[in-house]
Amino acid sequence: MAYVAVKGGAEAIEESIKRLTYERIHANELLELETITATMRGMVDQVMSESSLYSEFLAAIAIKQSEGNVEEAVFLLRAHRSTLPRTYYTRVVETNTMAVERRISASFKDIPGGQILGASYDYTHRLMDFDLIGESKAGMKEWVSQFLSEEIETTTNPDLTTLPKVVEYLRGEKLFSQIEDDNTEPIDVTKQSLQFPTTRSERLQVLTRGQTGAVTSLGYAAIRGFGQVHPTVGELRVGKLPLWISHPTEQSDDEENDYYIGEIKVTEVESFVPVSVQNENNTEEMEFEIGYGICYGQNETKAIAISILDHSLEVGKKEYPTQDEEFVLLHIDSVESSGFISHLKLPHYVTFQSKLDSMRKIKKESEK
Amino acid sequence: MNRRRRTAILIDGSPSFAKDLAREIERNYAVRILSEPQHALTMIKLRETAKNSLFYLGEVLVTETKVQINNKIGIGIVVGNEEELSYELAVIDAAYQGALKETKNWTLLFEEEERRIRENKTTRERAILKTKVDFEMMDVE
Repeated sequence: MAYVAVKGGAEAIEESIKRLTYERIHANELLELETITATMRGMVDQVMSESSLYSEFLAAIAIKQSEGNVEEAVFLLRAHRSTLPRTYYTRVVETNTMAVERRISASFKDIPGGQILGASYDYTHRLMDFDLIGESKAGMKEWVSQFLSEEIETTTNPDLTTLPKVVEYLRGEKLFSQIEDDNTEPIDVTKQSLQFPTTRSERLQVLTRGQTGAVTSLGYAAIRGFGQVHPTVGELRVGKLPLWISHPTEQSDDEENDYYIGEIKVTEVESFVPVSVQNENNTEEMEFEIGYGICYGQNETKAIAISILDHSLEVGKKEYPTQDEEFVLLHIDSVESSGFISHLKLPHYVTFQSKLDSMRKIKKESEK
Repeated sequence: MNRRRRTAILIDGSPSFAKDLAREIERNYAVRILSEPQHALTMIKLRETAKNSLFYLGEVLVTETKVQINNKIGIGIVVGNEEELSYELAVIDAAYQGALKETKNWTLLFEEEERRIRENKTTRERAILKTKVDFEMMDVE
């Protein structure tokens, strides 16, 4: 039997795409983009984070187009991103400029500035709220109005953009070693493919754009025995970071001449990881190292998992899968992993027929 | 007023603030659009706090516009899908680049808007601080 290339199916494909549109709109329910950005905060944040493109507007379109399928939405945004020019780079963002909305520590009860719970599911009962079935705009309005009037009653004089970081406080107390700024120019993984061994900047970039589920699972595995990390969350912050860019053509490097362009919401985590080190007297001593995690939006599980994997990959003992950078970094990207798995649906007629042929041949020979 | 402070007030302030200033310039000068509001990307460079090293956090969508007034070019760049605001920022930037007489009267307006931004920020922060934990030691028997 000869193998021949075939074509066809164009009409079926067109009908399949029409069928997809039908599935999205046949119920005749219009989903406004504003509804997505206003009510699907978690999904929008996840899509922006995994696509490595911060835009609630574009994420909402992608979510609508993909009917809420996150991997498809991320694919759409990554594809769209490649059509846009990158015109600027921000000044270095220092995260101690964050306008904090939530900030907790699992390591210390009394942190300078206090524990600020902000908005979190952590303190809720995970019970279904069936009242939501009958939720009305009037009811929502009334609740918000009541809530805002309560806020005005408080009198504390705040400044949530200058809260001292727990890690800086500990460095000041000499419990953690002081570290000089490392201004080595980072490598951009969107411009240069990963080469092993990787640099720290490449690892952090790949981790922050990793698929939430994959990053969380590997972070969990690192604690469960497929790694060697037992961290405590030193500080977790959710808040907004201001962005600045310098003038594109003027030669002056004067920061007063910068453009403020707006802010982005992020979750940032420093995990404290105990490690044993040998001191001068050759006896073992405990020290703490820091794992760092940050991601777009409010996604605390992902940020904590990134901090675990950051530390794991810094240690880099390849006998543990979660410390093997090739294993971690090449498998957590949403588009790469879902793309490869999806490609298995593409026609493999020729290769599969070839395998069948080999099987038939071997069978025939063994029957002789 | 320097650009750093000016652009922060324009973007964080009320949308009508930038609009009103841009309209004032439009009434008195010919604004030539060099580049219509368009989407672009800005890469975010960030310092992490474990080793204090730099890395790229990811890209952010911005809307950018370029205009020209009296041979002076103004640029408007803002995070998000913000065509109008981006245009208004560009007009105001060009007005300051050309030191147009209108800008001389704007300093007070900017300072007032900055005060409103600060007040709103304080109100927001006070609300957030209602979630600050007040630990109480439990009795030990």
